[in-house]
Amino acid sequence: MTDASLITSSRRLLSPVAALRIGIVAAVLGTWEIVAASGLLFRDVVPSLPAIGKALGQLLIDPVYYANLGVTVGELLGALAVGGGLGLAVGMVLGANAYLGKAFEEFLYYLGPTPKIIFFPVMLLWFGVDTGSKVAMGALSCFFPIAVSALSGMRQVDGVLIRVGRSFRASTWQMVTKIYLPAMRHPIVNGLRLGLGVAIIGTLLAETKMSNQGLGFLIIQTYTTFNMPRMYALLITLFLLAIGLNALIAWFSGGGAARKS
Amino acid sequence: MSAKVMPFAPQATMEMPILVVEDVVKRFDTPEGPLTAVDHMSFSVREGEFVSIIGPSGCGKSTLFSVLGGLVGGYEGKVTIEGQPIAGPHPAIGMVFQEDSTFPWRSVLDNVAFPLEIQGMSRADRYARARHFIAMVGLEGFEKRFPAELSGGMRQRVSIARTLAFQPKILLMDEPFGALDEQTRLLLGDKVLQIQQQLRQTMLLITHSISEAVQLSDRIVVMTYRPGRVKRIIDIDLPRPRSIDVVSSEAFGRYVAAIWSDLRDEASRGMNDAEARQRSSS
Repeated sequence: MTDASLITSSRRLLSPVAALRIGIVAAVLGTWEIVAASGLLFRDVVPSLPAIGKALGQLLIDPVYYANLGVTVGELLGALAVGGGLGLAVGMVLGANAYLGKAFEEFLYYLGPTPKIIFFPVMLLWFGVDTGSKVAMGALSCFFPIAVSALSGMRQVDGVLIRVGRSFRASTWQMVTKIYLPAMRHPIVNGLRLGLGVAIIGTLLAETKMSNQGLGFLIIQTYTTFNMPRMYALLITLFLLAIGLNALIAWFSGGGAARKS
Repeated sequence: MSAKVMPFAPQATMEMPILVVEDVVKRFDTPEGPLTAVDHMSFSVREGEFVSIIGPSGCGKSTLFSVLGGLVGGYEGKVTIEGQPIAGPHPAIGMVFQEDSTFPWRSVLDNVAFPLEIQGMSRADRYARARHFIAMVGLEGFEKRFPAELSGGMRQRVSIARTLAFQPKILLMDEPFGALDEQTRLLLGDKVLQIQQQLRQTMLLITHSISEAVQLSDRIVVMTYRPGRVKRIIDIDLPRPRSIDVVSSEAFGRYVAAIWSDLRDEASRGMNDAEARQRSSS
């Protein structure tokens, strides 16, 4: 009996998938440490794990870091609000109106994959070198995936639900808030996730190009001063930020998804 | 307080028509040319009456449903409710659709309260009224459940309760039990009958089931296959209040046989047409 319970509990602790994941992370870290210790590469290019850990510790108690983190998070939220709001509105209008959809849908598909960084000089001219141009870059980046998701989500809304709303004489605003948006929640959340990814790219890229604040600026600063452990520590916090934001969006949709199915 | 939210159905006055359909023609443009779905249909429904419209598949029943519900325009003729011509969805008409039309993200309670929420009724009032109609369709205890947790028959009852909560003068239903098995249909038909008798609700049912039409109706409008015209209007002189036992009576069988003899030609024309289309497309 004790044997059986041991086996089941160990199975639960380490499923094959979890074992593989842990194994890969351990292998990467191990390789990293071996390369760092071997001295094959220039010492600071691959700093040892303890050095990165130490830099990370220092970073996390540095008020300068939090000030810049605040700037970047603020820019990202602004970008998601502006780009996401516009993307949602444009996608829904194009999805609802066959004529407009036919006229403009292709633009979304053609402009969507173009690299947005080429617009950065324009954004600098329009919105200045401060946070405005970074928000604009993030917004420009996340507009397209969110608009495309909203457009296809709009077309997938079950027609009978729309007829139910009309038969109960719902106003246009009520149709949007009480039928279309809840019915489109899953495609919208998907669009937000895709949008968040490219908004981070757009914003950070803009920060590394020309700025005096934000995480992108800090990373470039550590790079130019060749403070590699601190740069890796910054990258780690950036990864965690991206994962955290993604998890937050998933959590928002999770409540609905669990109820729905 | 509860008395305030209870619906008071008006006394059935069997003389005055509440809904008048006059010479309605609805055409569609199809790739093969214009198709007349509904052709010069006229009939009326009196207050408190249960009328069924029956016809073979493809006879334009569902088109007529959308016309009466105000969901499609561009037809000839006139539809009036209490003498008032309709233009768009009318507050006196509540629709129950053939497909599953519950909102999957809303609980049963919030589904049924939906039309009241649209009207701007306060939360307490709309929940009280929703609970009343949920109990009426026999779903007491399921208020907090979501549609995905219910069977198809239960979901259709949620849809019916939702439309009843709208308190329409005329309840318009398009094959509400079409997707359900026969025994469930029979039992839900009886449920509808009980509700109709309790509320003296005017009901207009669109169906292709002869037994369902006879079980429920005061009158049956038989439609022809393409273009959809009125073939005959039959009064169903079965006793009221009616229970489920009516289906095993002799008179019931006679009505079913009479309607089938009317429908047989139409149904076989429809079937031949469908087969011909199949052949030409393959």
